[in-house]
Amino acid sequence: MAQFKDLDPVLHSQLRLAIVSLLVGVETAEFTFLKEQTGATSGNLSIQITKLKEAGYIEVTKKFRNNYPLTLCRITPLGKQRFSEYVKALKDYLNPDQK
Amino acid sequence: MENEEKHLTGEESLRIITDMISKTKVNISQGSFHLLFWGWLIFACSLGEYLLWKLTDFASPWYVWLLTIPGVFVSLIYGFVKGRKELVYTYATSIYIWTWMAFLFAAIVLFIVVWGNFQFIGPLILTLAAMASFISGIIIKFRPLIIGAITFWIFALVAHFTGPSVSPLAVPAAMLTGYLIPGYILKYRKDHGTI
Repeated sequence: MAQFKDLDPVLHSQLRLAIVSLLVGVETAEFTFLKEQTGATSGNLSIQITKLKEAGYIEVTKKFRNNYPLTLCRITPLGKQRFSEYVKALKDYLNPDQK
Repeated sequence: MENEEKHLTGEESLRIITDMISKTKVNISQGSFHLLFWGWLIFACSLGEYLLWKLTDFASPWYVWLLTIPGVFVSLIYGFVKGRKELVYTYATSIYIWTWMAFLFAAIVLFIVVWGNFQFIGPLILTLAAMASFISGIIIKFRPLIIGAITFWIFALVAHFTGPSVSPLAVPAAMLTGYLIPGYILKYRKDHGTI
C-alpha cells in the first residue's frame, strides 16, 4: 500500500497539483488561464510555476502580444510521467485492496 | 488556493485532479461562426448556380463558386484573430482546426484534379466535408453535427444517382441539414463556448 510519503512532494501540493492537472489536458495554457481556473493569486501562482519549472515538470515561454507580456506554460514529458506515477500512487493509496 | 503547503488528503488530491481536468474542455466558441458562414455561402453559391443554369443563358454559371476563394481568406483571418485571443489551446482544439485545414487542402487538390468536369464535384466535396464534420462532431461531442455529416453522405448519393434537374439541389439541401441547423443550435445553446 502506498503511503503519503510515496507521493511525489513536488506534485503533492494543492496549487502545483492543480496546475499540472490543468496542463496535462492541454497543449499550452496562458498564465491568466491558470490564474482564473485555480483561483490563486498571481504571486503564489508565479512561485509554484517556478518550482514546477525548476523540477523540470513544465516549460515556461515568455512572449509579447500587442505589447503585453504573455506567459505560456506547457507540461514536459517528465511532468506527464510524474503526474501519471502520482495518479497511480494515489489510486493505490485510496484503493489498497485493488493493488 | 492560497495555502499551497496545506496537508492534502488522498481524497482532496483526487478532487483537485478531477476538477482541473474538467476545466480543460474543448473550446468551440468559433464553431458556430464557421458553420453558419460556410453554410450560407455554399447555400447561396449552389442555389445561385442552379438558378443561373435554369433561368438564364449564362454560359458559365459555376463562376459563382469563385466566391468561395475570398471565403477561405475570411475564415482563415477570423480563425487566426480569434485564436490569438484564446487563453488555452487544447489537443482537441488542435485536432479540430487541423481536420478542417486537411479538408481545405483536399478540396483544393480535388478542384485541380476534376478541373473542367465540375458536374462531378458536388458529391465529392460533400463526401469530404462529411468526413471533416463527422470527426468535428465526435471531438466536440455535438450530435447535430454528426447527424449533419451523415446527411451529407446521403445527399452525396442523391446527387450522384438523380438526374441533372434534381442533383444540383442536393448541395443547398445538404447545407441546411449539415451546417446551418447544427450552426444555429450551437450558436443558441446555453453553454456555447466550451463542451
